[in-house]
Amino acid sequence: MKKHMLEAVTLTLIACLCAAAANALAGREKKLTVVTSPLVAPARPQAGPTRVETTTAETTTAAETTTAEPAPLPAPPVTKTIAEQPVATPTPNPSTAPPRTNPPAPPAPKVAPAKPLTRRFDPHPDKAYVEISGDDVAALHTSGALFLDARRTAAFSDGHIAGARSFSVWESDIDEKVKQLFAEKGEPEEQLKPIVIYCSGGDCEDSHMLADKLWGLQFNNIYVYKDGYPDWQARGGRVQR
Amino acid sequence: MGAAVREEMGSSSDSRAFRSSARGPIRDFLSSPWLTIRVQIALGVIFILAALPKIVDPPSFAHMIYNYRLVPGALLNPIALVLPWLELLCGLGLVLGIWKGTCRTIVGLMLVAFIIAIAINLARGNAIDCGCFDVSAAGKSRSERLADMRLVIARDLGMLLMVWQLWFARRAGVETHDPS
Repeated sequence: MKKHMLEAVTLTLIACLCAAAANALAGREKKLTVVTSPLVAPARPQAGPTRVETTTAETTTAAETTTAEPAPLPAPPVTKTIAEQPVATPTPNPSTAPPRTNPPAPPAPKVAPAKPLTRRFDPHPDKAYVEISGDDVAALHTSGALFLDARRTAAFSDGHIAGARSFSVWESDIDEKVKQLFAEKGEPEEQLKPIVIYCSGGDCEDSHMLADKLWGLQFNNIYVYKDGYPDWQARGGRVQR
Repeated sequence: MGAAVREEMGSSSDSRAFRSSARGPIRDFLSSPWLTIRVQIALGVIFILAALPKIVDPPSFAHMIYNYRLVPGALLNPIALVLPWLELLCGLGLVLGIWKGTCRTIVGLMLVAFIIAIAINLARGNAIDCGCFDVSAAGKSRSERLADMRLVIARDLGMLLMVWQLWFARRAGVETHDPS
């Protein structure tokens, strides 16, 4: 019995050593971080602007003003005024930070929207993500929103939504990519812009995991394309390989 | 009380006598070296084949384990890294006959764990790809996955039967060589 226990412990130790060596030698796409997992999203700082009202996923016709409480970091106090007509750009409603006289100009869309968005894509800091379907995704894509592909890199290489960036939650460099994204778009105005995340649709949860991660970094306007890449292909959306 | 103990001892010695006298052809076959060596190698090869895709792509295997909804997030990646190597080492041990008793026990324990994990998810109605020999998502429908899970349990029970045969043959061998 003691001999068997000793052998079992030895086998487990050898397995651990082999696993560590193989993981150290593995390429970026095949590597796993031992300490953290995709499930461990960074803790969301308490600094986020706490909105009383969220109007996402609604077609709004009435004017409203939402004032957020001052936030120490990283988002400044945000005062928002929402126009009467449906918003025609994917960027959140014009935000005016108190010190500024002019709201930050939204980035010029690559292609002019074919039709106005049927929904408003307001920031929703009280929830990590909002699930949207193909029509909204197409509208956001047309207007130049940032798209993140949460599938594995190999699947991304086989084909992805045009302009999307690879952010596989199961690969070891995900935290690095998220940090890089935060470095690029860490400005409060940037964090309020819509980000669309997708994976393979169906019961795929990778996009939700990535949304949780980004929400933890104060990205407040994240949308999950619930039907994912297969739906995009079926709709004949623009893809890149 | 004493009579009850005497009676129990009597029945115990009777059953031992029955077991030793029941050396029929089935028992002989089950404990034969011819069968044992084949079962041992087959089980080893199965575990080696099961381990390789997981070793090649640990992130996909971690994803598969995550889908079972049984493992805490902090243990997910360590298990995804170490378990395939343990499968490989035990498979090699069985094929090469090195530490085969320990390898047989570990393989048996792993099979029991796999069966329980799949049975729990089947009971929950959580349709998953088992990730046993292929760690890429198969793109099957829910009903196909549930059917596959039942098959996987049957297959794992079959492999558990192979482990039992190895254990049985060893016990029979021990009894045969027992001077008492």
